[in-house]
Parts: sequence; structure tokens; C-alpha cells
Amino acid sequence: MENKQATSAHSIIQKWVAVYSDDLYRWALHKTSDKETVQDLVQETFLAAFKSLDKFQGKSQPKTWLFSIMNNKIMDYHRKRFKSATINQSQLNGKSESGDVLENFFDSEGTWKPDARPNERQETEGHLLDNHEFKSVLSDCMKNLPHNWDSAIQFKYLEEKDAKEICQELGITASNYWQILHRAKLQLRMCLEKNWFKS
Amino acid sequence: MKKLMNMLMLSCKKASGLIEKKIHFSLNPIEKLQLFLHASMCNACKSYKKKSKDLDSLLNKYIHQDNQKPDSSNEFLPDELKQRILKQLEENK
Repeated sequence: MENKQATSAHSIIQKWVAVYSDDLYRWALHKTSDKETVQDLVQETFLAAFKSLDKFQGKSQPKTWLFSIMNNKIMDYHRKRFKSATINQSQLNGKSESGDVLENFFDSEGTWKPDARPNERQETEGHLLDNHEFKSVLSDCMKNLPHNWDSAIQFKYLEEKDAKEICQELGITASNYWQILHRAKLQLRMCLEKNWFKS
Repeated sequence: MKKLMNMLMLSCKKASGLIEKKIHFSLNPIEKLQLFLHASMCNACKSYKKKSKDLDSLLNKYIHQDNQKPDSSNEFLPDELKQRILKQLEENK
């Protein structure tokens, strides 16, 4: 009997692999940076689904269920990546031997440097994400951030919890958190200005 | 008076930090006043405030965006990996 159940579970997952694996692969590719990680995530997702198939009661679409399993795995990945890339305090806020990242944007008085000074042009961000070229520029800009900043951003927006809980999960203080986001967003904005808005 | 002014005057560096902080946490009354005074005098930081919020919603949409439309990507899971997954499932039967 058990064997029969296992066989049918197996054939269900087999079908899901055929139907959903490309979608899951693309989703993970969009959320993480290297292909090896992505392949592991897809594999782990199907294995986890297979092992807990009895918890799937058909209340949701198989696709929704598989994506929720995968999203948890993606968040685990970013939580770990954030922690392993954050070995000391200085890596949290981008202070290195070459100085604080903020020095790229502000002079010694703390005033905007000319090329970093925000202009008054309004970007119509609403439609930007329909543009594949823009998305690939944004994706490259994210990949150029220090790994822990990129992971903090991915984690923050995927997790949809309030800031205090995110700090707890990442094991950082509130000021660490907004200082990371401050620096990461300055850098992202500069990268988008250079590679998109100016061209 | 001068001391008070100095305390209330922020640099753009600090003001832009408080703009970020305000998105995620609440500011204390002094920080609120500091930011209000700075933003009322500094056009660059006023623009930054708007841009920072825009970037926030852009990132939020980007990260949640359904990237499943076939035209958005021609990436497919390599066949050998599909085979590997199936094989692994077979072993876990």
C-alpha cells in the first residue's frame, strides 16, 4: 500500500517537474545571482514538495504551492548569504580601507558632490518595469552591490514584514539596517543614472 | 542661539540618511525638525526624498514581478538537471 502511494506521489511530482520547472527556474534566476544556486533551489523545491506532498491538499494550485516552497528557500538563501558576507561591522555599511561608500556621494562638508546631486527630473517609474532593457540594467546594478546589501534588499522586499522583524531575522540593529539601505539605494540610483537615465 | 542652530542644521549626508530611516522607522522629534528644516532649504535633498521613495516602490515591484511571461526570458532549466531531479526523486521513493 505504502509503495503504491509513493508511486503515485512520484508520478505527480514527475508531472510537476515537466510543467513547472522552467517557471521555477526563471523565478529563482530573477531572485538570486548564480546559476548553480538556482539549480540547487529548483532541485530542493521539488524534493521538499515530494516529501511533504501529503500537506498539499489541493486547496491551492500546485504552481502556487511550489512557488511558496521556493520562496522560503530563496529567503533562507539570502539570510545565509547576508550573514556570511557580513563578517565584521565595517562590511555592514561599506566602510573599507578605501573609505566609506558615502564619500563617493558627499564631500567633506557632507554636501552632495556635483555628479551625485539629485536632479529634479521626475522619472516615470510606473512603466519602467515593462521595459526589458531597463530590467536588465537594474539587475546588473543590483549584482554590482556588495553581496550582503543585495541580499538585504532581496530579503526585505520578499519578506514583506516590518523593518523590526527583518532586523531580527538578519541579526542586525535598526541603524545598521537603514544605513545599509541608505548606502545601497544611493549606489543603485547612481548606477541607474549612469546606465539608464543619462543614455 | 548659534549652538541651537548648529544642532538643528544637518548636512545633506545626514539628511539623506534620515530620509531613509523615516521610510522604515519613526524619527524622534528632533530628527523630524532637523529633516523638516533641511528639506525646506535644500532642493537636492527634496528631490532625493522623492527619488528614494520611487526607488523603494520600483524595487518592491521589481522583486515581486511575475517574470513568467515567455517573452521576458528565454531561459529554460537545462534538461540534464530535470533528469537529475527525476532521478533523485526515484531514489527517495
